[in-house]
Parts: sequence; structure tokens; C-alpha cells
Amino acid sequence: MELRGVVKILDQNYKVGDIVKAKIIVIHKMDTGFTKDKESGKQFPRFYMKEITAKYNGNVIAHFDLDVATSQNPVIQFPLKVTGPGELVVDFVNSQDDTAQKKVTITPAG
Amino acid sequence: MERRSFIKGTFALATIGLLNPVLFRHDLAAEEAVEMPYKELLDDYLRGRKAEDGSSIMKLNIPDAPENGAVVPIEVTIDYPMKSDDYISNITVLTTKNKANKAISFDLTPANGMAYLYVNVKMGQTQDVVILAQTNKGKIFQASKNVRVALGGCG
Repeated sequence: MELRGVVKILDQNYKVGDIVKAKIIVIHKMDTGFTKDKESGKQFPRFYMKEITAKYNGNVIAHFDLDVATSQNPVIQFPLKVTGPGELVVDFVNSQDDTAQKKVTITPAG
Repeated sequence: MERRSFIKGTFALATIGLLNPVLFRHDLAAEEAVEMPYKELLDDYLRGRKAEDGSSIMKLNIPDAPENGAVVPIEVTIDYPMKSDDYISNITVLTTKNKANKAISFDLTPANGMAYLYVNVKMGQTQDVVILAQTNKGKIFQASKNVRVALGGCG
């Protein structure tokens, strides 16, 4: 299954040395395994987003271990210190080991 | 003879199953629901250490009574200098009365510049949100907030 996600930098104008916030949105179910289908009575299997790793110019700067208590279509914001122009690469892994990768370029002004 | 070997076979399988719960647990964890009681998760995080009261340095921005328990925004800002040798290395968000209580564990580095996390969690009923933060030296801070949920979002 293809995973869908978005990564963006929330601040518009930033310089080297500023702390900006990055936002990650993943379109993904977070089934706990406890819920049942109302019509068929079948239990939905446990199916969730498991890991998100953010790399900034090759260095891992944020690692998230998600679990089923995170809401559906998880939204995460985290801080990031701008050290220069580069790329923020975010890898997603779900509980069935499907992966996806999203990138956003960081271009500080001035 | 066939019956005997059959019994032997099943017995051997059962023993392997008993001796290797981890081996089978892996498959279980992927598909079936796993209950994660709050106490177990907390003990696992603390590992015998004591958590300090972090309510003075942690700023929590959590609604008192969210409209929907399925999406409760949690915003944490920790007032802690992110020096290269003394920084917050992990922020974990737990709930207390869901069936599975672990929401997220965030590993951070001094490259983040500040300790901040925003995440949405699910809540089945009125309960506490517990935020645990750990420094790279093993110090643990804890803060919590009670959240009233009218419409549960966790099956």
C-alpha cells in the first residue's frame, strides 16, 4: 500500500541559526485492534504508523515511535535549528513495513 | 506409530511455543490488539529511576474538554537549554485509561534547538495525559493534565 504524507516548514522567512517548526502529516489509519466493524462484527486488525525518522543533511535529528494511541492521520510538529541550506528527508514506516519518503528543501533567507 | 509421532510432534511444537513467547509474539503484535496498561509503560520508562515534577519547566497546551476524543491536540514546550552535553533526549506522551496507552515517543538531539512537540492523541474516556521527558543524563521530568472527554474516540 502506498503511504501518503506531507512534510513542510511552518515558518516563511528564516535565517541561519533560527529555530523553525516542521510539520508532518501522514494519511494513515491507526487501528488499535480493539475495534469491530459494525456490520460484519469482524475485528479490524492492528494497523498503524510505526516509525517516522527525519534527517537534515544526512543527520538524524528526530525519530518518532508512534503507537496506536496516536490519533488517525497523525499530525506532528517538531522544532529544527537551521544550520544552512539543505534538505529535510522524512522516512515513514508502518506496522506492515511499507515505507515512504518525503523531502522538503530548506533555503534560509539572506 | 503414526499417532505416536503425531503426539510427539505437537508436544514439541507446544514446548517451542512455551519457551519462545517472543518468537510468536512478533506475529501477534503485528495484527492483534495488544493491551498496554499505563503502569507497565511507566515502569518500563522509569526502570527504577524516579521522575521529578516537571510542571514548572513544561508548558502544556492541552484543551480541558476537547470536542472529540479521537483528536486531542497535545502541545508541549519544555523550558530546558539544549546544550550539546545537556539536553532533552526523549519526550514521551502517554494516556492513562486507554486500552493501549502509548501515544508517541520522540527522540531529539541538540540540533532541534528547543524541546517542543505537537501531536494528536486518541482518548476513549476522561483521563490524564502524562508527558515524560528524559535528559541525556538520565534525569526524568513528569507532568500531567486531566482531560475531560465527552465523546470517546478509542474503540
